[in-house]
Amino acid sequence: MSTSVETSPLQSPAITPDAQRAAFARRRRLRTGLLLALMTLIAVVMLYPFFFMIETSFKSENQFVNGTGGFSLSSWSQLAQALPWAREMLNSTIVCACAIAIILAVSTTAGFAFAKLRFRMSNYILTGIVAAMLVPIQSIVIPLYVNAAHLHLVNSYFGAVIIYAAIGTPFATFLMTAYYRSLPDEVIEAAIIDGAHYFGVFRRVALPMSIPALVTIAVLQFIQIWDDLLVGLLFLQNPSERTITVGLGALAAGRTTNIPVLMAGSLVSAIPAVVVFLIFQRFLTTGLTAGVSR
Amino acid sequence: MTTQTATPLGKKPRLMNKRSGISALERERARTGRVMILPAAILVIAVLGVPIGQAIYRSMEQWDGLTATWIGPSAYTHAFSDPTFWRVMENNALLLLAVPFAVLIPLGIAFLLNEKVPGWKVFRSIYFMPTAISWVVIGMVALRFFAQAGPLDSIFSAFGLGFIHPNLLSNQHQALLAVGITFVWSMVGTNTIIFLTGIATLDPSLSEAAQVDGTNAWQRLIHITMPQLRRFILFSSTLTMISAFTALFSLIFVMTGGGPGYGTTTLEFFIYQNAFGQGQFGYGALLGIVLFVIMAVVGLIQLRLLRVDD
Amino acid sequence: MATVSYIDATCHYSGHPVPAVDGLDLEIGDGEFMVLVGPSGSGKSTALRMLAGLEPVASGEIRLGGEDVSSLSPKHRDIAMVFQNYGLYPHMTVADNMGFALKLRRAPKTERAARVQEAARLLDLEQYLARKPKALSGGQRQRVAMGRAIVREPSVFLMDEPLSNLDAKLRVETRANIVALQSRLGTTTLYVTHDQVEAMTMGHRVAVLKDGVLQQVDTPRKLYEQPCNTFVAGFIGSPAMSLTTAPLVEGGAHIGTTFVPLRPEVTSACRSGFVSTVVLGIRPEAFAVAEGADLSIQVSLVEVLGADSYVHGDIAGHEGKFVVRCDGRLNPQIGESLALSVKPQEVHAFHPETGQRLG
Ligand SMILES: Nc1ncnc2c1ncn2[C@@H]1O[C@H](COP(=O)(O)OP(=O)(O)OP(=O)(O)O)[C@@H](O)[C@H]1O
Ligand SMILES: [Mg+2]
Repeated sequence: MSTSVETSPLQSPAITPDAQRAAFARRRRLRTGLLLALMTLIAVVMLYPFFFMIETSFKSENQFVNGTGGFSLSSWSQLAQALPWAREMLNSTIVCACAIAIILAVSTTAGFAFAKLRFRMSNYILTGIVAAMLVPIQSIVIPLYVNAAHLHLVNSYFGAVIIYAAIGTPFATFLMTAYYRSLPDEVIEAAIIDGAHYFGVFRRVALPMSIPALVTIAVLQFIQIWDDLLVGLLFLQNPSERTITVGLGALAAGRTTNIPVLMAGSLVSAIPAVVVFLIFQRFLTTGLTAGVSR
Repeated sequence: MTTQTATPLGKKPRLMNKRSGISALERERARTGRVMILPAAILVIAVLGVPIGQAIYRSMEQWDGLTATWIGPSAYTHAFSDPTFWRVMENNALLLLAVPFAVLIPLGIAFLLNEKVPGWKVFRSIYFMPTAISWVVIGMVALRFFAQAGPLDSIFSAFGLGFIHPNLLSNQHQALLAVGITFVWSMVGTNTIIFLTGIATLDPSLSEAAQVDGTNAWQRLIHITMPQLRRFILFSSTLTMISAFTALFSLIFVMTGGGPGYGTTTLEFFIYQNAFGQGQFGYGALLGIVLFVIMAVVGLIQLRLLRVDD
Repeated sequence: MATVSYIDATCHYSGHPVPAVDGLDLEIGDGEFMVLVGPSGSGKSTALRMLAGLEPVASGEIRLGGEDVSSLSPKHRDIAMVFQNYGLYPHMTVADNMGFALKLRRAPKTERAARVQEAARLLDLEQYLARKPKALSGGQRQRVAMGRAIVREPSVFLMDEPLSNLDAKLRVETRANIVALQSRLGTTTLYVTHDQVEAMTMGHRVAVLKDGVLQQVDTPRKLYEQPCNTFVAGFIGSPAMSLTTAPLVEGGAHIGTTFVPLRPEVTSACRSGFVSTVVLGIRPEAFAVAEGADLSIQVSLVEVLGADSYVHGDIAGHEGKFVVRCDGRLNPQIGESLALSVKPQEVHAFHPETGQRLG
């Protein structure tokens, strides 16, 4: 590029600065076009499951198996029978809401305490809780299951909620501690001087200041719990209590051959999490990268 | 001030040992702090801590959930001499081969997005969106995608390669490839976001200074940009590795059920199969401890490497 | 309303071998505006925070209105504080910020509103009451922080460098406003600053701290005219007093070859202390430009302020920089020498080893 621009004015006075600019702009456009094409290609790959689910769900079983085209609503009319999705989505919502409420309650109080009310050993306790992030659920699921069975907590919302809450708590506590550490001490001291006790400072000052962090945690946990299979599979086995993801997993494992119905169910189950994602994308990003940004 | 109402001085002061230098405020702070961490600590200890202890103990038992016989540490030596165990570990090791792809592809995509072509934010959302879908759904679609006469076959024939019928999922040694590809695909969103955040923290003046020094784009990438992204690459690698070990249960459950044979049985799936398929709770617990140790090592390595950074 | 006394009050930060505040003895009268001044790290904030109850009193005690409050927590001390960065509650409106303490005390809503309104009127904040702090300028935020303290009607105001985030012009303005407000309310005030100009212009009395140790407490004028040691002498006054060691001779000391007479109290103190040299402190205005005098300064820098200019330079045979105030129209060149005389009644003398004032 540089060579042509540098030499051409000598050879032909016809190439004016305007023409140079035009050439430059053309090259730019070409580059932009190429980048866009590449990005579109990646987008197609990433969106493929959505295309596939939508397309397949609007076929009848025969149309799908024979690979013929066509449009049919039969899978949608059979969906409710194969997958009690309304009930199961309600279950998912209940479990998510309760678990998130517990996570928020314990992680904000603990995060505030670790960040601003440091006491002897508090750093070790924080390290312990954060280290629990490394405990894979598969490592403890067996004792958990047996314990829950003893306590008659299998097949009750309560058992699943507590487990989800516990799994989410270490990361949430880590996030809240980091967040509260960034609050200026002066604000807290001002409230103390104004006559608040420490819990009052938390409730009236720190908590209202941390709404963005709360949203981040809620969104992150919502997607995680909504999409989880393993815990639900073991602790919510009853069709009347199981979550939509468990219902779908069970349907798939049942080797249902009616794939259009499965795809309709998948689509339905994915919608809430995708909607939440689209609305709260910004918060999700901060949550994901909280581990690295200093 | 003259109308001083409720006089707070009236309250009974708590006396203290002055030489200790601990004020009433500090004492209140510590007391409140202890109470406020209690719920989180109890929850984590009861649901995550105690079961780990139980799992360690139970791993040395022959246990079906009801009756147990003590075996002792030899349970481990016994497990490690089982070829099936190593078959499963091999699957995990093979899946780790997907980690570089799951990290480098998103890194490239992040640089691509960072060109900030008009509309790039829409693409960012699109790439990120699959993180919201469950592995169950992804697995279900992937299952059809890789199936015989599925879309993958069609793609091959469209390029005139119709004679290749990959049919990965029905082959004991290739099914894992399908799982690996799906895994890489599903990590794209998360890792791209991590790298975009990383790229946003780059200090442009460093790159500009190097440009003035006459380096080419490639040299700048290797010597200027990459070192600055080190933290982020480390973080996303760890996250991807942990996911490869612990997040694929649903995918495998839906996609292959661990098969064909032990073709796609990873450690985490093996735990589930043993415990809840065959009622071997003791062996399952043992496998769980193996998994936990691996994760702890990965976590500690990351921690150590990040420390070195600071 | 209350008096404040620090009685041998000490504060240790754990992990630090030396106390941040060491045996502080300080009496603040009812309604007095006391300024704590000192260089960075001298323990000013710590001393203030001890009174607030935010730092523990390791030994000694602090009395408020005659009562020992050392072991009380802040909310039982009836004090209000203005922070350097204001510490406003970002999620509350200005009115809620100012009324928060009353709300915590469960004051009736109407009383709260009335007091907030009154404070807002005093501070010219009425039109901002519904705004959040983020939507205010730095000066307005500072006033909200003041308002929050006023509304409480406490017995003592504590202020920790409340002006340091304002630009120079606003700082001077606000300085005057705070002084006016304090004298109007008559509330005992302890004000921390590292800016000696602020200290001198605002305080009824000024306490100078260094390394956690109180050096001197006095009115600004006394502090300026009779600094108790070389530290206070050098710290108070701008440009700083020139300090130099000079050999003692009968009835005075020598600067260069010039004889500077010293007051009899000084010379007798020297004699009883068996010292042969003395540290002389001479403020810029204690020099006078005198044609033909035998003391001369080698000019190295001239600061022209308009009416006056300050000439910095060296005097042969003496360590340290000397600063001379002279008429702004006189315009010495760098490298020139300027002949000077010294006003003997304005020369301070200090002990060469202890730095304590002599006489
Ligand atoms: N929280 C703390 N922990 C340990 N040491 C502290 C703490 N706060 C202050 N110090 C130390 O105590 C000494 C006095 O600090 P202080 O903040 O009172 O100084 P200051 O006079 O207010 O200074 P500045 O003008 O910079 O605000 C300093 O040496 C400081 O390092
Ligand atoms: Mg300070």
